[in-house]
Amino acid sequence: MYGGDEVSAIVIDLGSHTCKAGYAGEDAPKAVFPSVVGCTDEMDVDDTTSTEKNSGSAGESKSNAKTLDSDKGKGKRKLYVGSQALGFRRDNMEVLSPIKDGVVVDWDMVDSIWDHAFRECLLIDPQEHPMLLAEPSSNSQQQREKTAEIMFEKYKVPALFLAKNAVLTSFASGRATSLVVDSGGGSTTVAPVHDGYVFQKAVVSSPVGGDFLTDCLLKSLESKGIKIMPRYSFKRKEIRPGEFQIVELDFPNTTESYKLYSQRVIASDIKECVCRAPDTPYDESAYSNIPMTPYELPDGQTIEIGADRFKIPDVLFNPSLVQTIPGMESFTETARSVQGLPHMVIESINKCDVDIRRELFSSILLAGGTASMQQLKERLEKDLLEESPQAARVKVLASGNATERRFSVWIGGSILASLGSFQQMWFSKSEFEEHGASYIQRKCP
Amino acid sequence: MANAASGMAVRDECKLKFLELKTKRNYRFIIFKIENQEVVVEKLGSPEETYDDFSAAIPANECRYAVFDFDFTTDENCQKSKIFFIAWSPDTSKVRNKMVYASSKDRFKRELDGIQVELQATDPSEMSFDIIKARAF
Repeated sequence: MYGGDEVSAIVIDLGSHTCKAGYAGEDAPKAVFPSVVGCTDEMDVDDTTSTEKNSGSAGESKSNAKTLDSDKGKGKRKLYVGSQALGFRRDNMEVLSPIKDGVVVDWDMVDSIWDHAFRECLLIDPQEHPMLLAEPSSNSQQQREKTAEIMFEKYKVPALFLAKNAVLTSFASGRATSLVVDSGGGSTTVAPVHDGYVFQKAVVSSPVGGDFLTDCLLKSLESKGIKIMPRYSFKRKEIRPGEFQIVELDFPNTTESYKLYSQRVIASDIKECVCRAPDTPYDESAYSNIPMTPYELPDGQTIEIGADRFKIPDVLFNPSLVQTIPGMESFTETARSVQGLPHMVIESINKCDVDIRRELFSSILLAGGTASMQQLKERLEKDLLEESPQAARVKVLASGNATERRFSVWIGGSILASLGSFQQMWFSKSEFEEHGASYIQRKCP
Repeated sequence: MANAASGMAVRDECKLKFLELKTKRNYRFIIFKIENQEVVVEKLGSPEETYDDFSAAIPANECRYAVFDFDFTTDENCQKSKIFFIAWSPDTSKVRNKMVYASSKDRFKRELDGIQVELQATDPSEMSFDIIKARAF
Protein backbone atom coordinates (compact mmCIF):
# COMPACT_ATOMS: atom_id res chain seq x y z
CA MET A 1 0.00 0.00 0.00
CA TYR A 2 1.16 3.47 -0.81
CA GLY A 3 0.27 5.84 1.98
CA GLY A 4 1.22 9.26 0.71
CA ASP A 5 -2.04 11.14 0.51
CA GLU A 6 -0.47 14.56 0.62
CA VAL A 7 1.73 14.29 -2.44
CA SER A 8 -0.39 14.56 -5.51
CA ALA A 9 -0.01 11.99 -8.22
CA ILE A 10 0.98 12.74 -11.80
CA VAL A 11 -1.25 11.57 -14.64
CA ILE A 12 0.13 11.00 -18.12
CA ASP A 13 -1.79 9.99 -21.21
CA LEU A 14 0.66 9.40 -24.01
CA GLY A 15 -1.40 9.26 -27.17
CA SER A 16 -0.25 8.68 -30.72
CA HIS A 17 -0.56 12.36 -31.49
CA THR A 18 -0.28 14.32 -28.27
CA CYS A 19 0.97 13.65 -24.79
CA LYS A 20 -1.19 14.93 -21.96
CA ALA A 21 0.41 15.38 -18.56
CA GLY A 22 -0.65 17.03 -15.36
CA TYR A 23 -1.49 16.74 -11.69
CA ALA A 24 -4.17 14.41 -10.41
CA GLY A 25 -7.23 16.22 -9.14
CA GLU A 26 -7.11 18.99 -11.71
CA ASP A 27 -9.72 19.51 -14.42
CA ALA A 28 -7.42 19.53 -17.40
CA PRO A 29 -3.84 18.51 -18.17
CA LYS A 30 -1.18 21.15 -17.46
CA ALA A 31 0.97 20.16 -20.40
CA VAL A 32 -0.16 19.08 -23.85
CA PHE A 33 2.56 18.58 -26.42
CA PRO A 34 3.17 16.54 -29.58
CA SER A 35 4.21 12.97 -28.94
CA VAL A 36 6.63 13.00 -31.83
CA VAL A 37 10.31 13.52 -31.30
CA GLY A 38 12.84 15.41 -33.35
CA CYS A 39 16.01 13.42 -33.81
CA THR A 40 19.44 14.37 -35.08
CA ASP A 41 22.20 11.85 -35.49
CA GLU A 42 25.26 13.99 -35.18
CA MET A 43 27.45 15.07 -32.31
CA ASP A 44 29.23 17.99 -33.88
CA VAL A 45 26.66 20.78 -33.92
CA ASP A 46 26.72 22.82 -30.81
CA ASP A 47 23.13 23.78 -30.26
CA THR A 48 22.78 26.02 -27.30
CA THR A 49 19.06 26.04 -26.74
CA SER A 50 18.36 22.46 -25.83
CA THR A 51 21.72 20.79 -25.45
CA GLU A 52 21.79 20.94 -21.68
CA LYS A 53 18.42 19.41 -21.15
CA ASN A 54 18.85 16.61 -23.60
CA SER A 55 22.39 15.70 -22.82
CA GLY A 56 21.29 15.52 -19.22
CA SER A 57 18.60 12.99 -19.88
CA ALA A 58 20.63 11.06 -22.39
CA GLY A 59 23.53 10.74 -19.98
CA GLU A 60 21.22 9.62 -17.26
CA SER A 61 19.51 7.00 -19.33
CA LYS A 62 22.93 5.64 -20.24
CA SER A 63 23.98 5.12 -16.70
CA ASN A 64 20.70 4.19 -15.07
CA ALA A 65 18.76 2.02 -17.42
CA LYS A 66 20.90 -0.64 -18.94
CA THR A 67 17.88 -2.04 -20.69
CA LEU A 68 17.76 1.01 -22.89
CA ASP A 69 21.21 0.50 -24.30
CA SER A 70 20.04 -2.14 -26.71
CA ASP A 71 18.13 0.53 -28.57
CA LYS A 72 21.22 2.58 -29.05
CA GLY A 73 22.59 0.71 -32.00
CA LYS A 74 21.84 3.69 -34.21
CA GLY A 75 24.67 5.63 -32.70
CA LYS A 76 24.34 8.58 -30.42
CA ARG A 77 21.32 10.64 -31.22
CA LYS A 78 20.00 13.83 -29.87
CA LEU A 79 16.30 13.98 -29.20
CA TYR A 80 14.15 17.09 -29.19
CA VAL A 81 10.78 17.03 -27.46
CA GLY A 82 8.00 19.56 -27.06
CA SER A 83 6.27 21.96 -29.42
CA GLN A 84 8.91 24.58 -28.88
CA ALA A 85 11.91 22.40 -29.60
CA LEU A 86 10.11 20.96 -32.62
CA GLY A 87 9.06 24.36 -33.87
CA PHE A 88 12.69 25.27 -34.34
CA ARG A 89 14.05 23.96 -37.62
CA ARG A 90 17.37 22.17 -37.46
CA ASP A 91 19.51 20.74 -40.24
CA ASN A 92 19.04 17.01 -40.71
CA MET A 93 16.51 16.70 -37.91
CA GLU A 94 14.09 13.86 -38.57
CA VAL A 95 10.69 13.85 -36.92
CA LEU A 96 9.85 10.37 -35.66
CA SER A 97 7.07 8.84 -33.67
CA PRO A 98 7.85 6.30 -30.93
CA ILE A 99 4.49 4.61 -31.40
CA LYS A 100 3.54 2.48 -34.39
CA ASP A 101 0.07 0.94 -34.56
CA GLY A 102 -0.47 1.57 -30.88
CA VAL A 103 2.71 -0.23 -29.87
CA VAL A 104 5.83 1.48 -28.58
CA VAL A 105 8.69 0.73 -30.93
CA ASP A 106 11.28 3.09 -29.54
CA TRP A 107 11.56 3.23 -25.76
CA ASP A 108 14.29 5.83 -25.88
CA MET A 109 11.87 8.30 -27.36
CA VAL A 110 9.10 7.46 -24.94
CA ASP A 111 11.59 7.95 -22.20
CA SER A 112 12.55 11.35 -23.55
CA ILE A 113 8.88 12.31 -23.73
CA TRP A 114 8.31 11.33 -20.10
CA ASP A 115 11.42 13.15 -19.13
CA HIS A 116 10.25 16.26 -20.92
CA ALA A 117 6.88 16.05 -19.19
CA PHE A 118 8.41 15.72 -15.72
CA ARG A 119 11.27 18.12 -15.91
CA GLU A 120 10.31 20.72 -18.50
CA CYS A 121 6.53 20.90 -18.27
CA LEU A 122 5.56 19.98 -14.73
CA LEU A 123 8.87 20.76 -13.06
CA ILE A 124 8.62 17.88 -10.64
CA ASP A 125 10.91 15.22 -9.32
CA PRO A 126 9.39 11.88 -10.39
CA GLN A 127 10.81 10.26 -7.24
CA GLU A 128 8.26 12.13 -5.18
CA HIS A 129 5.07 11.47 -7.08
CA PRO A 130 3.04 8.35 -7.82
CA MET A 131 2.39 8.01 -11.56
CA LEU A 132 -0.82 7.01 -13.21
CA LEU A 133 -0.32 6.21 -16.88
CA ALA A 134 -3.10 5.64 -19.36
CA GLU A 135 -2.41 2.73 -21.68
CA PRO A 136 -4.04 1.53 -24.90
CA SER A 137 -6.77 -1.04 -24.34
CA SER A 138 -4.84 -3.77 -26.08
CA ASN A 139 -1.45 -3.11 -24.55
CA SER A 140 0.73 -6.22 -24.47
CA GLN A 141 2.10 -7.79 -21.33
CA GLN A 142 5.65 -7.02 -22.44
CA GLN A 143 4.91 -3.35 -22.95
CA ARG A 144 3.39 -3.03 -19.51
CA GLU A 145 6.34 -4.69 -17.82
CA LYS A 146 8.77 -2.54 -19.73
CA THR A 147 6.85 0.54 -18.63
CA ALA A 148 7.00 -0.58 -15.02
CA GLU A 149 10.73 -1.22 -15.26
CA ILE A 150 11.53 2.19 -16.65
CA MET A 151 9.26 3.97 -14.21
CA PHE A 152 10.63 2.24 -11.13
CA GLU A 153 14.25 1.78 -12.12
CA LYS A 154 15.01 4.92 -14.02
CA TYR A 155 12.61 7.43 -12.54
CA LYS A 156 12.41 5.72 -9.15
CA VAL A 157 8.74 6.58 -8.79
CA PRO A 158 7.22 5.63 -5.42
CA ALA A 159 4.14 4.04 -6.99
CA LEU A 160 2.65 3.33 -10.39
CA PHE A 161 -0.68 2.46 -11.91
CA LEU A 162 -1.59 1.59 -15.47
CA ALA A 163 -5.19 2.28 -16.37
CA LYS A 164 -6.78 1.33 -19.67
CA ASN A 165 -7.87 4.38 -21.58
CA ALA A 166 -11.23 2.94 -22.59
CA VAL A 167 -12.04 2.21 -18.94
CA LEU A 168 -11.09 5.72 -17.86
CA THR A 169 -13.28 7.26 -20.55
CA SER A 170 -16.15 5.02 -19.65
CA PHE A 171 -15.90 5.78 -15.92
CA ALA A 172 -15.53 9.50 -16.50
CA SER A 173 -18.89 9.47 -18.21
CA GLY A 174 -20.45 7.61 -15.31
CA ARG A 175 -20.72 4.22 -16.95
CA ALA A 176 -19.13 0.97 -15.98
CA THR A 177 -20.46 -0.63 -19.15
CA SER A 178 -20.18 1.13 -22.50
CA LEU A 179 -18.72 0.98 -25.96
CA VAL A 180 -15.88 3.46 -26.19
CA VAL A 181 -15.17 4.87 -29.65
CA ASP A 182 -11.84 6.60 -29.31
CA SER A 183 -10.83 8.46 -32.41
CA GLY A 184 -7.42 9.92 -31.81
CA GLY A 185 -4.53 11.09 -33.92
CA GLY A 186 -2.96 7.87 -35.09
CA SER A 187 -5.87 5.48 -34.97
CA THR A 188 -9.49 4.88 -34.15
CA THR A 189 -10.28 2.20 -31.60
CA VAL A 190 -13.62 0.76 -30.62
CA ALA A 191 -13.48 -1.02 -27.27
CA PRO A 192 -16.33 -2.55 -25.27
CA VAL A 193 -16.07 -2.06 -21.52
CA HIS A 194 -18.15 -4.17 -19.19
CA ASP A 195 -18.13 -3.53 -15.44
CA GLY A 196 -14.72 -1.96 -15.76
CA TYR A 197 -13.18 -4.69 -17.88
CA VAL A 198 -12.16 -4.27 -21.50
CA PHE A 199 -13.17 -7.16 -23.76
CA GLN A 200 -9.85 -7.57 -25.48
CA LYS A 201 -11.20 -9.91 -28.11
CA ALA A 202 -13.84 -7.48 -29.25
CA VAL A 203 -11.56 -4.48 -29.62
CA VAL A 204 -11.58 -3.23 -33.21
CA SER A 205 -9.18 -0.62 -34.46
CA SER A 206 -8.23 1.08 -37.69
CA PRO A 207 -5.37 3.35 -38.71
CA VAL A 208 -7.79 6.03 -39.86
CA GLY A 209 -7.47 8.78 -37.28
CA GLY A 210 -6.91 12.50 -37.22
CA ASP A 211 -3.44 12.30 -38.76
CA PHE A 212 -4.74 10.29 -41.65
CA LEU A 213 -7.45 12.86 -42.32
CA THR A 214 -4.87 15.63 -42.10
CA ASP A 215 -2.78 13.89 -44.74
CA CYS A 216 -5.82 13.49 -46.97
CA LEU A 217 -6.53 17.19 -46.68
CA LEU A 218 -2.92 18.08 -47.38
CA LYS A 219 -2.80 15.95 -50.52
CA SER A 220 -6.15 17.15 -51.70
CA LEU A 221 -5.09 20.77 -51.34
CA GLU A 222 -1.81 20.07 -53.11
CA SER A 223 -3.66 18.50 -56.00
CA LYS A 224 -5.60 21.73 -56.37
CA GLY A 225 -2.37 23.67 -56.64
CA ILE A 226 -2.38 25.03 -53.11
CA LYS A 227 1.05 24.89 -51.59
CA ILE A 228 1.22 24.99 -47.83
CA MET A 229 4.43 26.69 -46.90
CA PRO A 230 5.81 25.52 -43.57
CA ARG A 231 6.33 28.32 -41.11
CA TYR A 232 10.11 28.04 -41.20
CA SER A 233 10.39 28.37 -44.98
CA PHE A 234 9.61 32.06 -45.30
CA LYS A 235 9.94 35.42 -43.67
CA ARG A 236 7.08 37.88 -43.68
CA LYS A 237 8.19 41.46 -43.89
CA GLU A 238 6.07 44.53 -43.53
CA ILE A 239 7.22 46.73 -46.38
CA ARG A 240 4.60 49.41 -45.85
CA PRO A 241 2.08 49.61 -43.02
CA GLY A 242 -0.46 46.88 -43.66
CA GLU A 243 1.39 45.51 -46.64
CA PHE A 244 3.47 42.38 -46.38
CA GLN A 245 6.04 40.71 -48.49
CA ILE A 246 6.93 37.05 -48.34
CA VAL A 247 10.58 36.16 -48.68
CA GLU A 248 11.17 32.48 -49.22
CA LEU A 249 14.08 31.00 -47.38
CA ASP A 250 16.00 28.01 -48.55
CA PHE A 251 17.22 25.34 -46.15
CA PRO A 252 18.56 22.47 -48.25
CA ASN A 253 19.30 20.31 -45.23
CA THR A 254 15.76 20.17 -43.94
CA THR A 255 14.50 16.61 -43.84
CA GLU A 256 11.32 15.51 -45.57
CA SER A 257 9.85 14.34 -42.29
CA TYR A 258 10.33 17.74 -40.71
CA LYS A 259 8.77 19.48 -43.67
CA LEU A 260 5.81 17.13 -43.49
CA TYR A 261 5.50 17.65 -39.74
CA SER A 262 5.40 21.43 -40.20
CA GLN A 263 2.86 21.16 -42.99
CA ARG A 264 0.71 18.84 -40.92
CA VAL A 265 0.61 21.36 -38.09
CA ILE A 266 -0.96 23.84 -40.49
CA ALA A 267 -3.20 21.33 -42.26
CA SER A 268 -4.58 19.98 -39.01
CA ASP A 269 -5.50 23.51 -37.99
CA ILE A 270 -7.32 23.97 -41.29
CA LYS A 271 -9.09 20.68 -40.66
CA GLU A 272 -10.17 21.69 -37.17
CA CYS A 273 -11.40 25.06 -38.39
CA VAL A 274 -13.42 24.17 -41.43
CA CYS A 275 -14.20 20.46 -41.56
CA ARG A 276 -17.43 18.88 -40.41
CA ALA A 277 -18.92 15.47 -40.94
CA PRO A 278 -21.56 15.44 -43.68
CA ASP A 279 -25.07 14.41 -42.65
CA THR A 280 -25.30 11.77 -45.37
CA PRO A 281 -22.60 9.82 -47.19
CA TYR A 282 -20.47 12.14 -49.27
CA ASP A 283 -21.52 12.47 -52.86
CA GLU A 284 -19.35 14.34 -55.34
CA SER A 285 -22.19 15.84 -57.37
CA ALA A 286 -24.28 16.96 -54.40
CA TYR A 287 -21.40 18.85 -52.90
CA SER A 288 -20.01 20.43 -56.06
CA ASN A 289 -21.86 23.68 -55.47
CA ILE A 290 -21.13 23.98 -51.80
CA PRO A 291 -20.10 27.52 -50.79
CA MET A 292 -16.37 27.97 -50.21
CA THR A 293 -14.99 28.70 -46.78
CA PRO A 294 -11.93 30.92 -46.59
CA TYR A 295 -8.88 30.15 -44.46
CA GLU A 296 -5.81 32.32 -44.10
CA LEU A 297 -2.50 30.49 -44.18
CA PRO A 298 0.45 31.67 -42.08
CA ASP A 299 2.10 33.16 -45.16
CA GLY A 300 -0.88 35.44 -45.68
CA GLN A 301 -2.48 33.77 -48.68
CA THR A 302 -6.15 32.99 -48.28
CA ILE A 303 -7.35 29.68 -49.58
CA GLU A 304 -10.90 28.58 -50.22
CA ILE A 305 -12.09 25.16 -49.20
CA GLY A 306 -15.26 23.74 -50.68
CA ALA A 307 -16.34 20.14 -50.92
CA ASP A 308 -13.24 18.95 -49.03
CA ARG A 309 -14.79 20.29 -45.85
CA PHE A 310 -17.19 17.38 -45.98
CA LYS A 311 -15.28 14.91 -48.05
CA ILE A 312 -12.29 14.58 -45.73
CA PRO A 313 -14.27 13.75 -42.57
CA ASP A 314 -16.36 11.28 -44.53
CA VAL A 315 -13.23 9.16 -44.96
CA LEU A 316 -13.85 8.07 -41.36
CA PHE A 317 -17.17 6.61 -42.38
CA ASN A 318 -16.14 5.37 -45.78
CA PRO A 319 -12.39 4.77 -46.06
CA SER A 320 -12.62 3.81 -49.73
CA LEU A 321 -13.12 7.50 -50.50
CA VAL A 322 -9.35 7.74 -50.20
CA GLN A 323 -9.06 6.38 -53.74
CA THR A 324 -10.56 9.57 -55.08
CA ILE A 325 -8.03 11.81 -53.36
CA PRO A 326 -5.05 12.45 -55.63
CA GLY A 327 -1.77 11.57 -53.99
CA MET A 328 -3.27 9.12 -51.51
CA GLU A 329 -3.14 6.15 -53.90
CA SER A 330 -0.56 4.46 -51.75
CA PHE A 331 -3.23 4.00 -49.09
CA THR A 332 -5.77 2.40 -51.36
CA GLU A 333 -4.67 -1.03 -50.22
CA THR A 334 -4.97 -0.11 -46.56
CA ALA A 335 -8.30 1.53 -47.16
CA ARG A 336 -9.73 -1.63 -48.61
CA SER A 337 -9.06 -3.61 -45.47
CA VAL A 338 -10.33 -0.87 -43.19
CA GLN A 339 -13.95 -0.51 -42.25
CA GLY A 340 -15.90 2.65 -41.72
CA LEU A 341 -16.76 3.77 -38.22
CA PRO A 342 -20.35 2.42 -38.10
CA HIS A 343 -19.19 -1.01 -39.23
CA MET A 344 -16.42 -1.07 -36.67
CA VAL A 345 -18.97 -0.35 -33.96
CA ILE A 346 -21.29 -3.10 -35.13
CA GLU A 347 -18.48 -5.60 -35.55
CA SER A 348 -17.22 -4.90 -32.06
CA ILE A 349 -20.67 -5.24 -30.49
CA ASN A 350 -21.33 -8.46 -32.37
CA LYS A 351 -18.16 -9.95 -30.91
CA CYS A 352 -19.56 -9.43 -27.41
CA ASP A 353 -21.93 -11.60 -25.49
CA VAL A 354 -25.56 -11.34 -26.62
CA ASP A 355 -26.65 -10.32 -23.13
CA ILE A 356 -24.77 -7.06 -23.09
CA ARG A 357 -25.21 -6.00 -26.71
CA ARG A 358 -28.33 -4.08 -25.96
CA GLU A 359 -26.63 -2.13 -23.25
CA LEU A 360 -23.61 -1.39 -25.44
CA PHE A 361 -25.82 -0.05 -28.24
CA SER A 362 -27.41 2.35 -25.82
CA SER A 363 -24.17 3.73 -24.46
CA ILE A 364 -21.72 4.42 -27.24
CA LEU A 365 -19.22 6.96 -26.00
CA LEU A 366 -17.22 9.24 -28.25
CA ALA A 367 -13.78 10.28 -27.10
CA GLY A 368 -10.55 11.62 -28.51
CA GLY A 369 -9.57 14.63 -30.58
CA THR A 370 -11.06 13.53 -33.89
CA ALA A 371 -14.37 12.70 -32.24
CA SER A 372 -14.76 16.38 -31.46
CA MET A 373 -15.40 17.04 -35.14
CA GLN A 374 -18.66 18.88 -35.72
CA GLN A 375 -21.66 16.72 -36.53
CA LEU A 376 -19.69 13.51 -36.07
CA LYS A 377 -21.88 12.34 -33.22
CA GLU A 378 -25.11 12.99 -35.10
CA ARG A 379 -23.83 11.27 -38.23
CA LEU A 380 -22.63 8.19 -36.37
CA GLU A 381 -25.94 7.89 -34.56
CA LYS A 382 -27.85 8.17 -37.80
CA ASP A 383 -25.72 5.57 -39.59
CA LEU A 384 -25.98 3.18 -36.68
CA LEU A 385 -29.74 3.53 -36.49
CA GLU A 386 -29.92 2.34 -40.07
CA GLU A 387 -27.64 -0.62 -39.61
CA SER A 388 -28.34 -1.85 -36.11
CA PRO A 389 -30.91 -4.50 -35.21
CA GLN A 390 -34.46 -3.26 -34.84
CA ALA A 391 -34.75 -3.87 -31.14
CA ALA A 392 -31.59 -1.99 -30.28
CA ARG A 393 -31.93 1.45 -28.82
CA VAL A 394 -28.98 3.31 -30.24
CA LYS A 395 -27.58 6.17 -28.24
CA VAL A 396 -24.31 7.92 -29.02
CA LEU A 397 -23.01 10.07 -26.21
CA ALA A 398 -20.34 12.69 -26.13
CA SER A 399 -19.57 15.21 -23.51
CA GLY A 400 -20.89 18.61 -24.49
CA ASN A 401 -17.74 20.14 -23.14
CA ALA A 402 -14.99 20.13 -25.78
CA THR A 403 -12.19 19.82 -23.21
CA GLU A 404 -13.89 16.88 -21.56
CA ARG A 405 -14.34 15.16 -24.88
CA ARG A 406 -10.77 15.68 -25.97
CA PHE A 407 -9.17 14.82 -22.66
CA SER A 408 -11.67 12.31 -21.28
CA VAL A 409 -8.96 9.72 -20.70
CA TRP A 410 -6.74 12.11 -18.83
CA ILE A 411 -9.61 13.52 -16.78
CA GLY A 412 -10.71 10.03 -15.77
CA GLY A 413 -7.17 9.27 -14.65
CA SER A 414 -6.92 12.55 -12.82
CA ILE A 415 -10.02 11.90 -10.74
CA LEU A 416 -9.16 8.29 -10.05
CA ALA A 417 -5.65 9.04 -8.87
CA SER A 418 -6.90 11.76 -6.56
CA LEU A 419 -9.44 9.59 -4.73
CA GLY A 420 -8.49 8.87 -1.15
CA SER A 421 -9.70 5.29 -1.49
CA PHE A 422 -7.54 4.73 -4.56
CA GLN A 423 -4.32 5.20 -2.63
CA GLN A 424 -4.38 1.53 -1.56
CA MET A 425 -4.54 0.40 -5.19
CA TRP A 426 -1.14 1.63 -6.36
CA PHE A 427 1.60 -0.74 -7.44
CA SER A 428 4.23 0.45 -5.00
CA LYS A 429 7.98 0.52 -5.31
CA SER A 430 8.42 -2.01 -2.53
CA GLU A 431 6.03 -4.40 -4.25
CA PHE A 432 8.04 -3.95 -7.43
CA GLU A 433 11.23 -4.74 -5.60
CA GLU A 434 9.70 -7.79 -3.96
CA HIS A 435 7.76 -9.31 -6.85
CA GLY A 436 9.32 -7.82 -9.98
CA ALA A 437 7.82 -6.13 -13.00
CA SER A 438 5.44 -8.95 -13.87
CA TYR A 439 3.43 -8.15 -10.73
CA ILE A 440 1.96 -5.24 -12.70
CA GLN A 441 -0.40 -7.73 -14.36
CA ARG A 442 -1.83 -8.53 -10.96
CA LYS A 443 -2.03 -5.00 -9.61
CA CYS A 444 -3.37 -3.33 -12.73
CA PRO A 445 -5.30 -6.05 -14.54
CA MET B 1 -10.78 -6.80 -9.66
CA ALA B 2 -11.56 -4.51 -12.50
CA ASN B 3 -8.94 -2.30 -14.03
CA ALA B 4 -8.87 1.18 -12.54
CA ALA B 5 -11.15 0.35 -9.63
CA SER B 6 -11.40 3.01 -6.97
CA GLY B 7 -10.88 0.78 -3.93
CA MET B 8 -13.90 2.26 -2.20
CA ALA B 9 -14.95 0.46 0.99
CA VAL B 10 -18.47 -0.80 1.65
CA ARG B 11 -20.04 -0.35 5.07
CA ASP B 12 -21.50 -3.57 6.51
CA GLU B 13 -24.85 -1.91 6.93
CA CYS B 14 -25.29 -1.98 3.14
CA LYS B 15 -25.01 -5.75 3.02
CA LEU B 16 -27.26 -6.25 6.06
CA LYS B 17 -30.04 -4.03 4.77
CA PHE B 18 -29.83 -5.71 1.40
CA LEU B 19 -30.15 -9.12 3.03
CA GLU B 20 -33.23 -7.91 4.88
CA LEU B 21 -34.72 -6.66 1.63
CA LYS B 22 -34.00 -9.98 -0.01
CA THR B 23 -35.07 -12.40 2.70
CA LYS B 24 -37.48 -10.62 5.02
CA ARG B 25 -38.76 -8.30 2.31
CA ASN B 26 -39.29 -5.48 4.73
CA TYR B 27 -38.05 -2.77 2.36
CA ARG B 28 -39.22 -1.82 -1.12
CA PHE B 29 -36.00 -0.12 -2.05
CA ILE B 30 -32.64 0.99 -0.72
CA ILE B 31 -30.67 3.96 -1.96
CA PHE B 32 -26.92 3.99 -1.40
CA LYS B 33 -24.47 6.81 -1.63
CA ILE B 34 -20.74 7.26 -1.36
CA GLU B 35 -19.64 9.33 1.56
CA ASN B 36 -16.24 9.69 3.17
CA GLN B 37 -14.74 7.03 0.96
CA GLU B 38 -17.25 4.34 1.65
CA VAL B 39 -20.61 3.21 0.37
CA VAL B 40 -23.35 3.83 2.93
CA VAL B 41 -27.13 3.48 3.07
CA GLU B 42 -28.89 6.76 2.35
CA LYS B 43 -32.60 5.92 2.30
CA LEU B 44 -34.81 2.94 2.97
CA GLY B 45 -38.26 2.57 1.44
CA SER B 46 -41.01 0.67 3.22
CA PRO B 47 -42.80 -2.15 1.34
CA GLU B 48 -45.92 -0.02 0.76
CA GLU B 49 -44.01 2.52 -1.30
CA THR B 50 -44.24 2.47 -5.09
CA TYR B 51 -41.86 2.93 -7.95
CA ASP B 52 -42.86 6.57 -8.17
CA ASP B 53 -41.85 7.13 -4.57
CA PHE B 54 -38.59 5.45 -5.38
CA SER B 55 -37.91 7.64 -8.42
CA ALA B 56 -38.73 10.72 -6.42
CA ALA B 57 -36.28 9.71 -3.71
CA ILE B 58 -33.34 9.69 -6.10
CA PRO B 59 -31.67 13.09 -6.52
CA ALA B 60 -31.86 14.48 -10.05
CA ASN B 61 -28.32 15.79 -10.32
CA GLU B 62 -26.25 13.40 -8.26
CA CYS B 63 -25.14 9.83 -8.75
CA ARG B 64 -26.50 7.03 -6.57
CA TYR B 65 -26.73 3.28 -6.42
CA ALA B 66 -30.12 1.80 -5.71
CA VAL B 67 -31.78 -1.55 -5.22
CA PHE B 68 -35.46 -1.96 -5.99
CA ASP B 69 -37.61 -4.99 -5.29
CA PHE B 70 -40.11 -5.21 -8.12
CA ASP B 71 -43.30 -7.25 -7.68
CA PHE B 72 -45.25 -8.29 -10.72
CA THR B 73 -47.64 -10.90 -12.05
CA THR B 74 -46.69 -12.96 -15.06
CA ASP B 75 -48.99 -13.88 -17.94
CA GLU B 76 -49.67 -17.18 -16.22
CA ASN B 77 -50.91 -15.26 -13.21
CA CYS B 78 -47.90 -16.05 -11.16
CA GLN B 79 -46.79 -13.69 -8.39
CA LYS B 80 -43.11 -12.90 -8.86
CA SER B 81 -40.52 -10.46 -7.77
CA LYS B 82 -37.17 -9.38 -9.09
CA ILE B 83 -34.42 -7.41 -7.46
CA PHE B 84 -33.07 -4.59 -9.60
CA PHE B 85 -29.72 -2.92 -9.17
CA ILE B 86 -29.66 0.57 -10.63
CA ALA B 87 -26.57 2.68 -11.15
CA TRP B 88 -27.91 6.20 -11.47
CA SER B 89 -25.43 8.54 -13.07
CA PRO B 90 -27.19 11.58 -14.53
CA ASP B 91 -25.50 13.45 -17.37
CA THR B 92 -25.91 16.64 -15.38
CA SER B 93 -23.82 15.46 -12.44
CA LYS B 94 -20.17 16.43 -12.08
CA VAL B 95 -17.47 14.38 -13.80
CA ARG B 96 -15.87 13.64 -10.46
CA ASN B 97 -19.13 12.32 -9.09
CA LYS B 98 -19.63 10.08 -12.12
CA MET B 99 -16.10 8.78 -11.99
CA VAL B 100 -16.33 7.89 -8.30
CA TYR B 101 -19.56 5.95 -8.71
CA ALA B 102 -18.59 4.20 -11.92
CA SER B 103 -15.21 3.08 -10.66
CA SER B 104 -16.66 1.75 -7.39
CA LYS B 105 -19.63 -0.05 -8.86
CA ASP B 106 -18.07 -3.39 -9.69
CA ARG B 107 -16.72 -3.88 -6.19
CA PHE B 108 -19.97 -2.76 -4.54
CA LYS B 109 -22.17 -4.96 -6.70
CA ARG B 110 -20.16 -7.98 -5.70
CA GLU B 111 -21.07 -7.36 -2.09
CA LEU B 112 -24.76 -7.60 -2.86
CA ASP B 113 -25.46 -11.22 -3.56
CA GLY B 114 -28.81 -11.82 -5.24
CA ILE B 115 -29.23 -9.03 -7.77
CA GLN B 116 -31.28 -10.27 -10.69
CA VAL B 117 -31.39 -7.37 -13.12
CA GLU B 118 -28.93 -4.59 -13.54
CA LEU B 119 -29.53 -1.20 -15.10
CA GLN B 120 -27.38 1.80 -15.69
CA ALA B 121 -29.26 5.00 -16.19
CA THR B 122 -28.05 8.44 -17.18
CA ASP B 123 -31.37 10.17 -17.61
CA PRO B 124 -34.82 9.45 -16.13
CA SER B 125 -36.04 7.84 -19.37
CA GLU B 126 -33.51 5.06 -18.97
CA MET B 127 -35.05 3.94 -15.69
CA SER B 128 -38.70 4.59 -16.44
CA PHE B 129 -41.24 2.15 -15.11
CA ASP B 130 -41.76 0.77 -18.62
CA ILE B 131 -38.12 -0.19 -18.87
CA ILE B 132 -38.24 -1.85 -15.48
CA LYS B 133 -41.28 -3.86 -16.57
CA ALA B 134 -39.67 -4.77 -19.87
CA ARG B 135 -36.53 -6.01 -18.17
CA ALA B 136 -38.37 -8.00 -15.51
CA PHE B 137 -39.96 -10.46 -17.89
